[in-house]
Amino acid sequence: MMRISSLSATYPNGFNAVKKADLKLSSGEILALVGESGSGKSTLIYASLGLLPKGSSVSGKVFFDDIEFFALPKEGQRKIRWKKVSLVLQGTMSSFTPVLTIKRQFLEAMEEHLSLTPGEAMAKAVELLEEVGLEGNFLARYPHEMSGGQKQRCAIAMALCCDPDYLLADEPTTALDVITQAEIMNLLKGIAKRRNMGILMVTHDLALASSTADEICVMYQGCTIETERSDIIIKSPKQPHTIALVRSLSMMEE
Amino acid sequence: MTEEVASVESLTLTFDKIDAPALADVSFCLNEGESLALVGESGSGKTSLLRLLLGLLRPTRGKVRLFGQPLDDVGGEELRRIRRKCSYIPQDPFGGLPPTLSPLQAVVEPLIVTRPNLKYEGTNKAKELLSDLGIEEALWNRKLVQGFSGGQRQRIMLARALITDPKLLLADEPTSMQDVSTRMDLINLLKVYLKNGMSMIFVTHDLLLAKAMTLRGIVLYRGRMCETGPTHLLLRDPLHPYTKALVSALPKLGKPIEVKVKRRPLPVGFKGCPYLALCPYGFDRCKDLPPMKQLSDARSVACFMGDTSQGT
Repeated sequence: MMRISSLSATYPNGFNAVKKADLKLSSGEILALVGESGSGKSTLIYASLGLLPKGSSVSGKVFFDDIEFFALPKEGQRKIRWKKVSLVLQGTMSSFTPVLTIKRQFLEAMEEHLSLTPGEAMAKAVELLEEVGLEGNFLARYPHEMSGGQKQRCAIAMALCCDPDYLLADEPTTALDVITQAEIMNLLKGIAKRRNMGILMVTHDLALASSTADEICVMYQGCTIETERSDIIIKSPKQPHTIALVRSLSMMEE
Repeated sequence: MTEEVASVESLTLTFDKIDAPALADVSFCLNEGESLALVGESGSGKTSLLRLLLGLLRPTRGKVRLFGQPLDDVGGEELRRIRRKCSYIPQDPFGGLPPTLSPLQAVVEPLIVTRPNLKYEGTNKAKELLSDLGIEEALWNRKLVQGFSGGQRQRIMLARALITDPKLLLADEPTSMQDVSTRMDLINLLKVYLKNGMSMIFVTHDLLLAKAMTLRGIVLYRGRMCETGPTHLLLRDPLHPYTKALVSALPKLGKPIEVKVKRRPLPVGFKGCPYLALCPYGFDRCKDLPPMKQLSDARSVACFMGDTSQGT
């Protein structure tokens, strides 16, 4: 289990973006972190991996199983990232290096963290691409030779390359059309089940969260205000903000 | 008597060096006070269609008429005069606003460019629009380059489009970066203008939003019309397999997403049904182009499965 306990984060300019947030992510489950823009969703996940800009202050604790992340030295934290937990960034459109082939970018991550021979690494890369529904020959492509949906699949494959136990995905389907979005969601569900992996998905779309995630955590003004199983939270939301979110969506669907 | 605001006829647009047309054989007509949704995924030709309507692109074949005036034989001052009755909200809120202006200046600008004497009234109206759209007063005079979010920029672009009281609004995904609560502010404001006689073409890939905003819709796939009809029927009873996929892929509260598509690569220069690239059915006949079949006054569909929507 990945557990965030009473985490607060303040940016160098003094903005307190996350206030005593709590979160539990179990293996094999998808947890959606839902909230409006500026509610602190992205900051929470970056802070939990020690990835906020220099000069930010973070307090609280983060556990990956029984390892306390902030108690580790820098090098130890670096090893946890990728191997224990990996991150799919927001805006995959621009998160690949445009001048390198996909193969080069895959191998870079694997050479750094796994001791594999080039042959083994290649075989593993092909295997991962197939797992996310792409053909192995995508390795020869440059990022601009792929569609948005293909890049997103590729980013997910790369995040899986060190077989982490947890995957954090920041808005994995913004800028994708609804059909591709549905395919990516089904892909994430399959991965969670097959690998018994805990997936934390950040999204502003409560409808998307409720149709994909097992559990939903709602954030508002930096606080985690309500966490509940998806089917329950949409039927009987408790906090006023969650009630408002559910109501405005039901109005659209009516 | 309702007047025609915009119409296109067999509109086709081909870009150099690209084999498949960006738009092929698109026809529709929009009357005063009407709203029309253009629905489809990226690359389906929605944005190109808006640019053709404004005369920013010239069609390879076919006709565009704005306010009864064919665009192929106007240019210069005459074209600008027609365009002044229209407002266009581009898709990208980061490239679509002048960075050196403040929200207030950016919103007034389109009005006082043509009518400098309206500066005072314009400024008041801009303030009203900005507060209707939830842009706080503290932000009105800050330069746009100084960190406005995509959602805020979209709301500023909408205010900028509405300040001239356009006869026709062309809106390209105007709410894509909004949270649910602010999205309702945009929708409600647009509805007020529609009630007062504005016409609108609303580009989106979200059928739910299309239903909330418009009465009629056209579903486009790779530049061709798949299906047209009242938006509530497109959503409730879709006929074309692409419209069906769009409806089933929409995330709905508490329901798992199920989407039935089958991706298959089409040969270069394929002349048949473009949706064969995704269609879960796909018959031998689909190697030919299915014609647009009119099913009733309001509905047409281009699919060999057609009105029965039964497989063979």
